[in-house]
Amino acid sequence: MAERPTPTTGGEQSDGSGDDGGPIGRLTSRVGSHVAWIDRSLVGLCLASTLVVVLAGFVQVRYGSYDMRIGEVFWAVLDPNVLLDPRWMLNFLVGEDLMRAITGFEGELPELPPETLIVWTIRLPRVFVAVLVGMNLALSGAIFQAVTRNELASPYILGVSSGAGLAILLTLVMYAGLAAYLPIIAAAGGALAFLIVYAIAWQHGTSPVRLVLAGVIVGTVFQSLQTALFFFADDIGVVQTAIQWTTGSLTGVEWEEARIVLPWSIVVVALALAGARQLNVLQLGERTASSLGMNVERMRFGLSGIAVLAASASIAVAGIVSFVGLIVPHVVRSVVGSDYKKIVVGCLFVGPALMVAADVGARLFFPVVMDVQKQMPVGIVTGLIGGPYFLYMMRRKNLGEI
Amino acid sequence: MAQHALQPPAEPPSTLQSRVIDDDRRQRPGAHRQRSDVDRTDEARTDASTFDADGLVIGYPGLDEPVVADASICLPPGEVTALVGPNGSGKSTLLGGLADQITPEAGTVHVDGTKLTELGDKELAKKLGLLSQENVSPGALTVEELVGHGRYPHRGFFEAMTTEDQEAIDRAISLAGVDHLRERDLGQLSGGQAQLAWIAMVLAQETDVLLLDEPTTFLDLHHQLEVMDIVRTLRDEWGITVVLVLHDIDQAARFADYMVALDDGEVYASGRPGDVVTEELLADVFGVEARVGQGDHGPRITPLRALEDEET
Repeated sequence: MAERPTPTTGGEQSDGSGDDGGPIGRLTSRVGSHVAWIDRSLVGLCLASTLVVVLAGFVQVRYGSYDMRIGEVFWAVLDPNVLLDPRWMLNFLVGEDLMRAITGFEGELPELPPETLIVWTIRLPRVFVAVLVGMNLALSGAIFQAVTRNELASPYILGVSSGAGLAILLTLVMYAGLAAYLPIIAAAGGALAFLIVYAIAWQHGTSPVRLVLAGVIVGTVFQSLQTALFFFADDIGVVQTAIQWTTGSLTGVEWEEARIVLPWSIVVVALALAGARQLNVLQLGERTASSLGMNVERMRFGLSGIAVLAASASIAVAGIVSFVGLIVPHVVRSVVGSDYKKIVVGCLFVGPALMVAADVGARLFFPVVMDVQKQMPVGIVTGLIGGPYFLYMMRRKNLGEI
Repeated sequence: MAQHALQPPAEPPSTLQSRVIDDDRRQRPGAHRQRSDVDRTDEARTDASTFDADGLVIGYPGLDEPVVADASICLPPGEVTALVGPNGSGKSTLLGGLADQITPEAGTVHVDGTKLTELGDKELAKKLGLLSQENVSPGALTVEELVGHGRYPHRGFFEAMTTEDQEAIDRAISLAGVDHLRERDLGQLSGGQAQLAWIAMVLAQETDVLLLDEPTTFLDLHHQLEVMDIVRTLRDEWGITVVLVLHDIDQAARFADYMVALDDGEVYASGRPGDVVTEELLADVFGVEARVGQGDHGPRITPLRALEDEET
């Protein structure tokens, strides 16, 4: 290959190799180039979202059938008996058995004051799960929007929701004995439907349009089967459980659910951050990505796999929560632009904000406003927020731009 | 009638060719001006990558007839080759096949003696760059970010950008003349500026062979000339083998060192522009009656009228 001379057009390059500011200068410039893409709008978005999570989380923790004063809430949340006791923290995050295995602790865990117990065993895990579910759904939607090159794509666009829904219904109606395994069954149903969608779309490779169409086909058929199964449910309780699962709900979520979703969330977040550059290249179009040396089919399948994993993990603990995965990437994109490095990071913060805030409505609307002791599925609240948000988008922008 | 598998002429460029190159030199400031044409050609021949296709048959699923039937071409290394032909003659398809973006039904393509299909995706993308005809991009992407994506084949999945990558990006931006647009979003650029940014992206790939699909179509005259200027710099200073699909046969005759004319998926003729561009070719392939004269920059075509379609 011919030696490439430094270009003569455009003059000398003063930055870069030209001046060498010693090892420290070089180090800072290298670190600088690694984080240079983090800009003010992204930081602002993340801070604002964190504030929303903290405020909404505070409301969730304070109110309920056992109301607390503000001081009590702070004291309970920051209770050193829990926060500084690794046994309690491990007990929550990895479970009692694993905690005992790690710490070698065999006695009874120390007793906690009632406020701390309520906050830490009932109310905080729900906030924590909402945070993780919001993250997963937002990332899943963001990835699917890049993979299908369609900004109206949601985590459920490739059949995941209908597969999970059908699996849930089948279990509840036909194999009620397996109900304990519902989280795994739901996630597996979603993943299986995704594979069917891929198989249908495959014809000398796939294309975004064929994938979306195949998703619609599988979704339509599975939806009909789901509705058909409702007729076989003879117990109103079964129907209500099924509706909770298929609209998405965080009612009764505890640390056990957090432990189900946490490891997958870590995997998903790591892979999404690593895959951000691939998503950026994929945004340039299949032909360009391919001529740049990307194996587009393999990458698309792998990235979709991450998105399905994220969606399945959240379905396993919260059911099929709609709109979060659709709206959050939009909100993030409208603030930080189209760079997926920023979008992924933004989703990690905005997803939880929407989910935790919506869950406040789901949990407290009936008790506080109507004085009825009942909780709504959180999916109803996200749907109620999502519809008007798109109306706003439609009015503000040209519909064609969405 | 069709001349398949023409080898590039081994003899030194004809006087006509020398004149074209001479003229090019005059327009472009550069250290290489004083060298003779023969020098340049020889040096380019020894350094540059060879690139040839043998018996390519390319079709699309669902079509009975292949779009490109049995195309064999041997491209002169380190020179600019133009693929010309009327609409639907299979130029872009052939280019896609040459770049291994469309899997041919038969035939092979070699770059530097290695079969393309034996190279990994990223290895191939380090040897061979392709700029597609229509490029879409998210609007909020700066020129520098776009050019940075050209380094994709040089980076591993988890690897960060190295100094070498940054230097390649700077070189590409500088050569494409988009220095002043670095920080601008692609959405704000004119068609011509955007095309230069995309060209900078494939330049950042730093390949030995560059395939450009209609890089000048839809551009204004100024940007067309800018693109062709970049192509000549690539040939003269980087020793790159360039293949262009050109819509405009007049432009091809003026700028290319070598031409391949396609007719209905077959190679009708290939050779130096002076040999390829004839009144007969214009009638047979392009369906026009034209006069071909001798201009200052190679053959000059004066189209007279469209001929009646003979077959359909």
